[in-house]
Amino acid sequence: MKLAGLKSVENAHDDSVWAATWVPATETRSALLLTGSLDETVRLWSSDELVLERTNTGHCLGVASVAAHPSGLIAASASLDSFVRVFDVDTNATIATLEAPPSEVWQLRFNPQGSTLAVAGGGSASIKLWDTATWDLIATLPIPRPEGPKPSDKSGSKKFVLSVAWSSDGKRLACGSMDGTISIFDVARAKFLHHLEGHFMPVRSLVYSPIEPRLLFTASDDMHVHMYDAEGKSLVGAMSGHESWVLSVDVSPDGAAIATGSSDRTVRLWDLSMRAAVQTMSNHTDQVWGVAFRPPGGSGVRTGRLASVSDDKSISLYDYS
Amino acid sequence: MACLYIPVQNSEEEVRVALDQLPRDAADILDILKAEQAPLDLWLIIAREYFKQGKVEQFRQILEEGSGPEIDEYYSDVRYERIAILNALGAYYSYLGKIETKQREKEDHFILATQYYNKASRIDMHEPSTWVGKGQLLLAKGDVEQASAAFKIVLDGDRDNVPALLGQACVEFNRGRYSESLELYKRALQVHPNCPAAVRLGIGLCRYKLGQFDKARQAFERVLQLDPENVEALVALAIMDLHTNEAIGIRKGMEKMQRAFEIYPFFAMALNYLANHFFFTGQHFLVEQLTETALAVTNHGPTKSHSYYNLARSYHSKGDYEKAGLYYMASVKEINKPYEFIFPYYGLGQVQLKLGDFRSAQSNFEKVLEIYPDNCETMKALGHIYVQLGQTEKAQEFMRKATKIDPRDSQAFVELGDLLISSDAGAALDAFKTARGLLKKGGEEVPVELLNNIGVLHFERGEFELAEQSFKEALGDGIWLSFIEGKENFQEIDASDSIIQYKDLRLFQQLEESGRHVELPWNKITPLFNLARLQEQLYNPETASIMYRLILFKFPEYIDAYLRLASIAKARNNIQLSIELVHDALKVNDKCPNALSMLGELELKNDDWVKAKETFRAASDATDGKDSYATLSLGNWNYFAAIRNEKRNPKLEATHLEKAKELYTRVLLQHPANLYAANGAGVVLAEKGHFDVSKDIFTQVQEAASGNIFVQMPDVWINLAHVYFAQGNFALAVKMYQNCLRKFYHNTDSQILLYLARTHYEAEQWQDCKKTLLRAIHLTPSNYTLRFDAGVTMQKFSASTLQKEKKTADEVRSTIAELENAVRLFSHLSAASNLHFHGFDEKKIDTHVEYCKNVLDAAKPHLEAAIREEQQIRQRQEVARQVALAEEARRKAEEHRKFQLERRKQEDELKRVRQQEEHFQRVKEQWKSSTPGSKRRERSDLDDEEGGNSERRRRKGGKRRKKDKSSKTRYETEEAEADMMDDQEYPEDEDANLNYREPTSQNDQDEAEENVADPLAAAGLEDSDAEDEEAAPSSTAGRRRRAWSESDDDEPLQRPLSRENSTEPQQSDEEVREDGHKPNGNAVSDDED
Repeated sequence: MKLAGLKSVENAHDDSVWAATWVPATETRSALLLTGSLDETVRLWSSDELVLERTNTGHCLGVASVAAHPSGLIAASASLDSFVRVFDVDTNATIATLEAPPSEVWQLRFNPQGSTLAVAGGGSASIKLWDTATWDLIATLPIPRPEGPKPSDKSGSKKFVLSVAWSSDGKRLACGSMDGTISIFDVARAKFLHHLEGHFMPVRSLVYSPIEPRLLFTASDDMHVHMYDAEGKSLVGAMSGHESWVLSVDVSPDGAAIATGSSDRTVRLWDLSMRAAVQTMSNHTDQVWGVAFRPPGGSGVRTGRLASVSDDKSISLYDYS
Repeated sequence: MACLYIPVQNSEEEVRVALDQLPRDAADILDILKAEQAPLDLWLIIAREYFKQGKVEQFRQILEEGSGPEIDEYYSDVRYERIAILNALGAYYSYLGKIETKQREKEDHFILATQYYNKASRIDMHEPSTWVGKGQLLLAKGDVEQASAAFKIVLDGDRDNVPALLGQACVEFNRGRYSESLELYKRALQVHPNCPAAVRLGIGLCRYKLGQFDKARQAFERVLQLDPENVEALVALAIMDLHTNEAIGIRKGMEKMQRAFEIYPFFAMALNYLANHFFFTGQHFLVEQLTETALAVTNHGPTKSHSYYNLARSYHSKGDYEKAGLYYMASVKEINKPYEFIFPYYGLGQVQLKLGDFRSAQSNFEKVLEIYPDNCETMKALGHIYVQLGQTEKAQEFMRKATKIDPRDSQAFVELGDLLISSDAGAALDAFKTARGLLKKGGEEVPVELLNNIGVLHFERGEFELAEQSFKEALGDGIWLSFIEGKENFQEIDASDSIIQYKDLRLFQQLEESGRHVELPWNKITPLFNLARLQEQLYNPETASIMYRLILFKFPEYIDAYLRLASIAKARNNIQLSIELVHDALKVNDKCPNALSMLGELELKNDDWVKAKETFRAASDATDGKDSYATLSLGNWNYFAAIRNEKRNPKLEATHLEKAKELYTRVLLQHPANLYAANGAGVVLAEKGHFDVSKDIFTQVQEAASGNIFVQMPDVWINLAHVYFAQGNFALAVKMYQNCLRKFYHNTDSQILLYLARTHYEAEQWQDCKKTLLRAIHLTPSNYTLRFDAGVTMQKFSASTLQKEKKTADEVRSTIAELENAVRLFSHLSAASNLHFHGFDEKKIDTHVEYCKNVLDAAKPHLEAAIREEQQIRQRQEVARQVALAEEARRKAEEHRKFQLERRKQEDELKRVRQQEEHFQRVKEQWKSSTPGSKRRERSDLDDEEGGNSERRRRKGGKRRKKDKSSKTRYETEEAEADMMDDQEYPEDEDANLNYREPTSQNDQDEAEENVADPLAAAGLEDSDAEDEEAAPSSTAGRRRRAWSESDDDEPLQRPLSRENSTEPQQSDEEVREDGHKPNGNAVSDDED
């Protein structure tokens, strides 16, 4: 299990690159890398050469998150001004502009079935679910407020929802918040199930294993990556090694490894069977905001790819094998 | 049986006296001798016989009678016998004097002896035996030189005089000239081959002293053959046996010693040696008895000294240092010159060192070192004394020397390393490494402490891998290995239990239940703790936590492990758990200042101000105010209190600041090099507006803080940046903030980003400011203040763009976009305010929204104007271009015209010249003579003409340029007019601004009050205000901008908080160090023993 650097694009954006995701391959083209940046643009890159395919403008303030529909046809991007723009990947035609004030938008994720877009609702302490056919808001999943007297200002901002993740079967939704709590929802019943405790600092990224539907990986500012059994509420493992905040985590398509990006400027590859970092890539010169494994499908199915984006304005592509 | 015949006077008869039947009363014999007027030699023989039989009294009686005045008179012509009698008496008294221990009687004997010898000399000056006797007497008195003179007189007369030879040999021996002495003994033996065994003893001793041990041994053995009871020879042989340093030799030697002791129990040397032996066999009782006997029987200084030494040593080893010291002292007193017998000095030094009398010990060891300049042990002892006396450099010098002299003494290297640890860690590490190498080479086990120290030093130098190796080596094999390598993964735990994960010891219990032996030897705790500390540093807190827990599982009172676990929990923001762990530590020792300090800090983090103060007080009290950390914490507390006061009571603020300053100063007095105290003092000074002084302080602290991996002081960078900011040096402030962010925070601190944004704001770099704020929002999206600030920035940017005299349509367009964003942000905030997410007043946000909308409306005409203007400009540009073209054409025509003119002129000129030339020719022809001067003139004329031309051309060019300029200015004035028209619209805007401004600053107050829930934020707000006020006069914007900055710069200035954070690594560092040093201390004290 190892990573090998393939290509890096310096100054891929005019400013910090904050988000990255892969648009799955369609029948007519192979997978594309989608990146969002503080420079208010969203860019599409062809793999493996990382040739800039298109630059989408239209966002104000920085682009904080991007997500791609499993079909590979549409994608969504969200910016700090709380707009979500849904667009056609190949034509850049705007399909919808979503907003649900006063809720901010943070991370976005399409469910594996492609029917729903989950949006981390920031200060509203909830997840918003949008129907991908009608682009209507279909549900708001609120995080239950802690019991006790009137919630204070502080606890409100602590519950700020940063990240969302769908389980591989699409039945569960997990979200991470500023105070480190992770909340698990039953999507079908739109019901909060339970919290997962262990982090006490912001959880900026989380992802379910594609193999084990119960297994959840969480990345937190406390420099740790936790492995939870999200159903059994148990902490399976805690992995330390990053020297600063862990900003993003993604799991490999085979479910055997995870990659993390951190403020310590490194990308690490963790072998899940050893529960230890097996490789550290330090080609970035600033915080690594996003890591993303390329989903299987299209041409070059067997070759694994990992992309990372950083505050240093660059994008890197690695071979994962 | 030998008989003596005393001839009867005046007859042929003789009285037969059987020598073994001498009458008990010497008077009987004397009567006979006197009556018969027996020859004096008979007197002597009888006296000698008495002496031989041990009847000393009779011997003396006869001889005294035989040397009386009557005899002198009667036998006046019998000189030799009279001399012999006198000499015998002299020798007798010499002997008495020699063996007498009491000083006065000794002297009396010697006086008597001298008298007899003098009397003998008076009878015959030249009698050799008298001289020999005198020589012996002088020897006995210790007057070696005069004795030598006496013997020399005899030997000059008769070079084979055996007694004189022996005497002289003795003299030479005493002088230390052993080969001369040996020659003399040999000659005596040659002259008198049957001489007593004692001569051979002399030879043996000489040979021994000359180092010819085999020959010496032969001589001693010969003595024993001749005289099996010769104690001296026996002792000498025994000593030689003992010195072989082999078990058999020592046993043989001791046997001989014992025999000598049995033969003569009062021979001091033998007693000393026996005592020495029993000292080593540990029979101290015998040692004391033997040495006490030896002391009683001898008066010989060196021997006594030896005895005292033995006694002292015995007490020393029994640990009775007082008595040992006394006896060492007595031993030393018996020694005239230290080089004769140096050991007691060493012993005395050791005892004095033990008793804490370092000065005396030092002088004694220095004496030893004079004799043995290369003695490592002494050097080490001296080195140790200098450490105690605080003279580290001298101590190092000695240790260095010791290690140089014996580069294989690992102990010396260890001690040298210990010495260097505080001053020169690199050299210390080298010393320790050498020691380790030596021990390894020697096949010895390297002590855990040494490996631990090496590890710590590597750790401190940031060489983590080497440190890890060293710690692992120190730890050796054990259960911990499986944790280090992660083999023993910790079991799944219920996520709700994870809150106690750092307190969980079940892992080990389970291991024990499953049959694994969980063992941790006490001497492995420190390296394990340090390894755990290292793992923390290597960002493996999980591994570290398991190790700390292992320590606690076995040694639940190890406070530091609790504190480290608490620290790990704190780093993960698990405050609750951290507090619990600190409480566990306090259960072990409720006065532990470290635990109390940490608790205080945690309480502060939990906003428990009053509690925190009490805890810090307790920590300070627990150490009698000597713990600078606690004092510093109190200082910080006061500083926070000064700046958090929401009601801005200036009196209270001043008292708190004053108190903080006092506390910082107190720490600085105790520890002038305390960076944190200096930083605190700098902050207080800056707070009071003394920016220059505080800048100096911060700069120094910053310099001092760089270069140690454990001292991380981002605060001082921030403070320095604050000062630069306050002084209006924005560029430097920006640089400083950025460096700090990158260096210490991995660019993750939104607070510093906020400072940065504020600086950009003040520097009117709106776009930078906005970008910085957006980054901060991205990092801390739940901080709504940042959004508010971003909105304000965009608003401000727009307003300032619209106020610009010249702006393009694009600029105005982007301005409008920004305004729209601002409106959006503000309306978001406004909407969110219902949810009580943040502390903003809805009304205030609405005002902002209102204002932005107004500006937006106002901007529309701007946009139109700008577009119009752009069109105008485009038109104007077109016109200008045409004008320029026309101009160009005109210019070309002009030029052409001029050219024509020129040419015509030139032609005219040419014509004229030609005419002139013709005229010239004519003149020449006329005069038929030529002068060079005229020729020259001719040429210069031509030059002049050309110059004139070129000048004219230049002037023409100049004219053209001027014309261009005038056309340009014309455009400019047009533009200016247009601008002026624009300007007329401004007053409205300005009013709007002003109207808006009033409520803002008022709202500010409200906001401050709302924000007090977060005291640090409030503190920061006030702080920023203070600095803004300082900054305002220096900047051009002045009053207006201050109002602005108040409105948006509600930065929770986390200076103090971050300082708190950063103090902590230092503390932990101290922990490591202390631990690292503990074993050293033990090692040193061991050595003292």
